[in-house]
Amino acid sequence: MPLTREQIVEGLIEILESEKIITDEQVLKESSIDRFRKYEDINGVYTQPIPAAVVNVESTEEVSAVLKFANENTINVVPRTGRSATEGGLETALENSIVVDGSGMNKIIKIDTYNMQATAECGVSLEELENRLREQGYTTGHSPQSKPLAQMGGLVATRSIGQFSTLYGGIEDMLVGLEAVFPNGKISRIKNVPRRAAGPDIRHIIIGNEGALCYITEVTVKIFKYMPENNTFLGYTLDNMKTGFEILREVMVNGYKPSVARLYDPEDGAYHFSHFAEDKCVLIFMAEGPKAIAEATGKAIEDIVAKYDECKKVKTQYIKKWFNHLNWDPAKVAEERVEIMETQNLGFTTEVSGTWDIINDIYEVCIERIRNEIPDITLIGGHSSHSYINGTNMYFVYYYNLVDIKPEEEIAKYHYPIQDIIVEETLKAGGSMCHHHGVGKHRTHFIEEEYQSSYHMLEALKKSFDPKGIMNMGTILPIKSK
Amino acid sequence: MKILVCFKAVPDLDMMSDDDWVVDCELNVDISFVKAILNCFDESALEMTLKLSESMEGFNAPLNLTALTIGDKRKDSFLKTLYALRFDKAVRINNYEDIRFMPEVVAAVISKYVREIAYQDVIVLGRQSGEGDNAKTPLLLAEILGWPCITQVVKIELDDSASLKVTSMADDGILTQTLRTPCVLSVGNTPNSYMRIPTLRDKMKYGKTPIEVLDIESFDINPIVNTCKNDCELLSLKKISNNREGFIIDGRTPAEKAQILYDLYLKERLEEL
Repeated sequence: MPLTREQIVEGLIEILESEKIITDEQVLKESSIDRFRKYEDINGVYTQPIPAAVVNVESTEEVSAVLKFANENTINVVPRTGRSATEGGLETALENSIVVDGSGMNKIIKIDTYNMQATAECGVSLEELENRLREQGYTTGHSPQSKPLAQMGGLVATRSIGQFSTLYGGIEDMLVGLEAVFPNGKISRIKNVPRRAAGPDIRHIIIGNEGALCYITEVTVKIFKYMPENNTFLGYTLDNMKTGFEILREVMVNGYKPSVARLYDPEDGAYHFSHFAEDKCVLIFMAEGPKAIAEATGKAIEDIVAKYDECKKVKTQYIKKWFNHLNWDPAKVAEERVEIMETQNLGFTTEVSGTWDIINDIYEVCIERIRNEIPDITLIGGHSSHSYINGTNMYFVYYYNLVDIKPEEEIAKYHYPIQDIIVEETLKAGGSMCHHHGVGKHRTHFIEEEYQSSYHMLEALKKSFDPKGIMNMGTILPIKSK
Repeated sequence: MKILVCFKAVPDLDMMSDDDWVVDCELNVDISFVKAILNCFDESALEMTLKLSESMEGFNAPLNLTALTIGDKRKDSFLKTLYALRFDKAVRINNYEDIRFMPEVVAAVISKYVREIAYQDVIVLGRQSGEGDNAKTPLLLAEILGWPCITQVVKIELDDSASLKVTSMADDGILTQTLRTPCVLSVGNTPNSYMRIPTLRDKMKYGKTPIEVLDIESFDINPIVNTCKNDCELLSLKKISNNREGFIIDGRTPAEKAQILYDLYLKERLEEL
């Protein structure tokens, strides 16, 4: 017999001080979703099961106690920190869930500039950690657009990536060790060492688990020397995405490591670059690090791009200005809400990846299909923002006017059909359906196709670490109807 | 009814950092690197007019909407968007002269367009732009044309085929007036300030309609420009610091923080009320 909401709250009161247990109705409603349902939220319509409580944990032991209680009573737990999720990962898919908020675990535990690593609790905001590091001449090298909002636990849980990834890598390349709590309350630490070959790298069970296996309470990441004075910006306009992908490939294949390597199509670019690149694609690079390396990287990229006649160099000031306004802070989120209400125009993104030989085809077919198949589209475009030796990502950006619908109908009429075109075409071509937002709860119907013959490994992880199925159910893996 | 909406695309000064406000030897600040956006009051004026047009659908009193701006080719993207939103005509008066601080010139050009090129029943403009902050153009325009001008307009509705019901903010409240055309409407702080977004299909279908481009030379503005230049001389330029003080209240509990807030910042002010 499952516990009632009241019994769940009573049980939590026995574990935590009562002021840490939030049962305010509006807070609970807002805690049933993330930014995937921003239109419902703006309209005050909440369609997901409302959680029984939000608990503000302040220590690993408290997380352990709450998870143990939830596990014993088979209560769904949704872990969260900075609440910047965009793919439904924070939705409470089951009745009477407990949302475990770790944003109060916000201590920077140690900045170790000798061993070049920093340890922080899960609720430390990346921006705060980064600012502290920069004061001392260091950086995490991690800079997702959500930097002002996102916190360290969530960044690791969602396998995030930042704008400087081409040099520093994704969070998986930065994470040294961590502490996590499993559903049975077991606190597990993975120590901070430069490398190990003692069996499989178990960090990767936890990185990207999206709260579906465990609760990350502490992370240690690498740090790097911060030398912004050496940053070299380069910007070009060009006519074709295909050329842009070729240039990105050439830069990567020849072994150069710009921190930023981005390619925008004209539609997405118009939002950022209309003042200097109307109806053009835009290619952007930033080289950083020690002066000699930054200069050499910049020079090499200039030489590569110079071979392509259609590329025209733009003044670096344009690129610097754009770059300084890329992040999403709370003010921007608030402004977006007003804009959506007034214009009834809503925008989302879906990010995928593919090898060099398929990425342009994925881009072209998705754009074509969405243009032709989706009603009321006002913008469909995209950019590549993270490149690797063997391929790159494609970040599709789309906006649509909301015509003749109730708030709760928006996802079915617009968001799902667009997302599904992108995912279908990417999987068909052999790419990955998620590049850096995580699976969340709205791409789970494609998860078997994504994993194919390795899907059993994913299922085995879930069964092994969360046998009672209490960790963020419906995330990564779909909830199977009984 | 023929309605002309005049708008200005202005630099997005929020993109400027403190370090960018550098005054050069000719007393200019370089703002060429930031994006252009619709002046907020003009954006409201455009959306207000579109709403008015929308409300007329199905009635036998069609509105004819013209959008006009003064500037170089870079402003065309805004005019294309307005075509996609079903404006009937988009006009750009081609200009490279710096007339940011010369509302007299802007008013003269618009009045000449209305008198000599395309007569209009109503002219709608934003009250001021964030660039020049002159807040004069609508009033000067009405004066030149000899038309009535309503300021701080927040809503426009059609009353009958030759008159409008106009809601505006007055010092002591909200005013709703019915007035016959022609008239000039100066749009102020409206509850909604964002303009709607055209669909891709409408952009493809209507956005390629040719923009009517007229040369500002043909508007004979030189005498007014010279007068404006002689009227005032810029002697120096400096950035006014608008920094606000911030203080983080430190307390163990919300009650303790509230008490500190009350004692240090609210108590004295409340007692003065």
